[in-house]
Amino acid sequence: MKKRSLPILLATAALMTAIAPAATARDLSDIGFVDQSAIAALPALVSVSQQLAAYKAQLNGQYTAAMRGARTPAARAQVTQDFNTRMNNEQRQLAGPEFMRVQLAIASVASTHGLSVVVDKRIIIYGGQDITQDVVRLLQGSQQILPLGTAPPPSEIGYVDQTALESSPQVRSASAQLQAYAEKERRLYGAQFAQAGGNTQKQQQIAAAYNQAMNAEQQQVLKPVIDHTQQVTAQTAQRKGLLLIIDRADVLYGGTDITTDVQNALSK
Amino acid sequence: MALVAMGAPLAGCGGVNVNSPSVRGLAYVKLDDVVKHDPLYAQLSNIDDAIAMVQLQGAGPRVPRSARSIAREDARLRSQIAAAKARTQAIVASKQREYRARAQTAIAAALRSAGVRSGANVGAALGSATSQQAAAAQAQAGRDMRQYQASVMQQGTVAAHAIVQQLQAEATQKLQAKSLQEQQRETNLSLRLSQQDAAQRLSIQTKLSMLALDPATRQRLQGQLDAMNRRDNAQIAALRVSDQREFTAYRAQVMAQTNAAMRAQLGHINDETRTKLVSHESALGAQLRSSLGPQQPLMHVTPATQAQIRAIEARIEQQYQADVQNVLAEYATTSDALEVQYAELHGADAAAASATQQEIEILQVRRQQLYARIVAHVQHEAQRLAQRKGFHVVFSGVTAAAGGYDMTNDLIHDIESEHE
Repeated sequence: MKKRSLPILLATAALMTAIAPAATARDLSDIGFVDQSAIAALPALVSVSQQLAAYKAQLNGQYTAAMRGARTPAARAQVTQDFNTRMNNEQRQLAGPEFMRVQLAIASVASTHGLSVVVDKRIIIYGGQDITQDVVRLLQGSQQILPLGTAPPPSEIGYVDQTALESSPQVRSASAQLQAYAEKERRLYGAQFAQAGGNTQKQQQIAAAYNQAMNAEQQQVLKPVIDHTQQVTAQTAQRKGLLLIIDRADVLYGGTDITTDVQNALSK
Repeated sequence: MALVAMGAPLAGCGGVNVNSPSVRGLAYVKLDDVVKHDPLYAQLSNIDDAIAMVQLQGAGPRVPRSARSIAREDARLRSQIAAAKARTQAIVASKQREYRARAQTAIAAALRSAGVRSGANVGAALGSATSQQAAAAQAQAGRDMRQYQASVMQQGTVAAHAIVQQLQAEATQKLQAKSLQEQQRETNLSLRLSQQDAAQRLSIQTKLSMLALDPATRQRLQGQLDAMNRRDNAQIAALRVSDQREFTAYRAQVMAQTNAAMRAQLGHINDETRTKLVSHESALGAQLRSSLGPQQPLMHVTPATQAQIRAIEARIEQQYQADVQNVLAEYATTSDALEVQYAELHGADAAAASATQQEIEILQVRRQQLYARIVAHVQHEAQRLAQRKGFHVVFSGVTAAAGGYDMTNDLIHDIESEHE
């Protein structure tokens, strides 16, 4: 019995070792992250950032002067829009080439490491492959970084454009409702607060009650909409065979974009 | 048995199959939920309440000024400062004319009494440049002086505004530092209290978790736990009230110091302006006298009358200097008062239009620092837990999940048991 079962056990063990590291390796090597603050500290990016700051300071003075001359709300909105456009154009012109280079570097390193997705370090608590130093080294080199000829491999990590989802009519309406409630409550509690005069303890109680009221309203108005959006996102993820969905702003390379699918599902 | 034993590392622990197809070694944590169970969360709520207090303070009827009224007041003060400058320049110019006329009248009278009769003879008697040349040179000197005055006063105003801004920025920094120092004190107390009675809490918690506990004992134990919580909260609240009082007093002190420093610096600038103007006036006078050529001996006039005329010139020059000094001193006082009002208006920005904003910003910095500290603690615990459970990657900012393992509750449990 022992003699016969030993080869089976060894074969099973060999099979397990063959399968297990493969499964483990896939989980371990698939997800990478980059510390964006280390990239932002590179001299080229610091210089871009300084130039942008100087341009912004210069624009601020002009903006203040232009706003003084704008008499109507529409004129003020136009001034704001014009200056935002000027700032964005400058940003594109100054930072665009550097940002593109960073993206190419991340993609290149991710591809070398066989990663399907690279995210911002902030959202990784444990594990994952830190490719920051490799990206920094590549960026510090003088060689040209060429675009990859291939798309990133499919990933079980998906993403949604949170900003796009937050601009849905449901979220906007809930936010406006909450805003109106906050203004009403601020006036109400503000009057009570003023009545309490120098009684700090009483004022603290009023402030705590105000916060509680705001939290309760948030739970009642905003949370159902957020929960529904999360639920629909999770269902879409499941249909697409994805495990986790993160915000697009945290994705630096790869991943699967399901924003449109979620928007479509929400509008049904 | 062997298969089970070999399969065990793959399955992980605590009933989670870490490598199941729906998990694949991935876990996630809802950070906001866990943060609420950190021992420092009560302090974070306190800061939120403090922010609400400031917001409510601003929402009440005690808001001193609106942004529009500050802008109006600002424009009024600026125009008053400009008017004071223009007025001073006009007075100085008129004084120059007045003293010139006075000197001429006195000299003419002295010459008349010495036997020189007509105005034309006065010029001839003086024997220097013609009176027309002298008048033109004096007019030019007057224009130069006015131009110089305008430029010096403008420099003074620019310097005054720069000083006001700098002193205000310094005051904000001091207040921020004080606020952070108080937060550190509250954090330390909060941590000390949560650790101080950890053993006692754990013992009560363990007893409470026993199912076979009679209601009376359960109530008593729960009461003990509640009393401990109340006692801790009361201590933190007391420290917060005392910190708040200390902060209010410190703010009053900083504002008083800032205003005193503003007054001193503005006074210094005005003194400098005055000195510059007086010394320029003297230099211009000397220049004028030298440009009109060396004083020639007066013809047809006795040495006694000549001496009398020189004495008149010296006396009137002295009177003019004293009078102009008074005008400039008057300007300095008015300007000081207006600049202080200007400084207070903008210093009162903190206490008026943006008072609420400034205080909220200080509190928000405190909140961010405390939140970062809590998150660092939560992440540290999450790393330990992930390692223990055998996960490969743990995310914190997940929007939605169709798979992976939600580690939130396990982490909350770990954090709570660490402090109980």
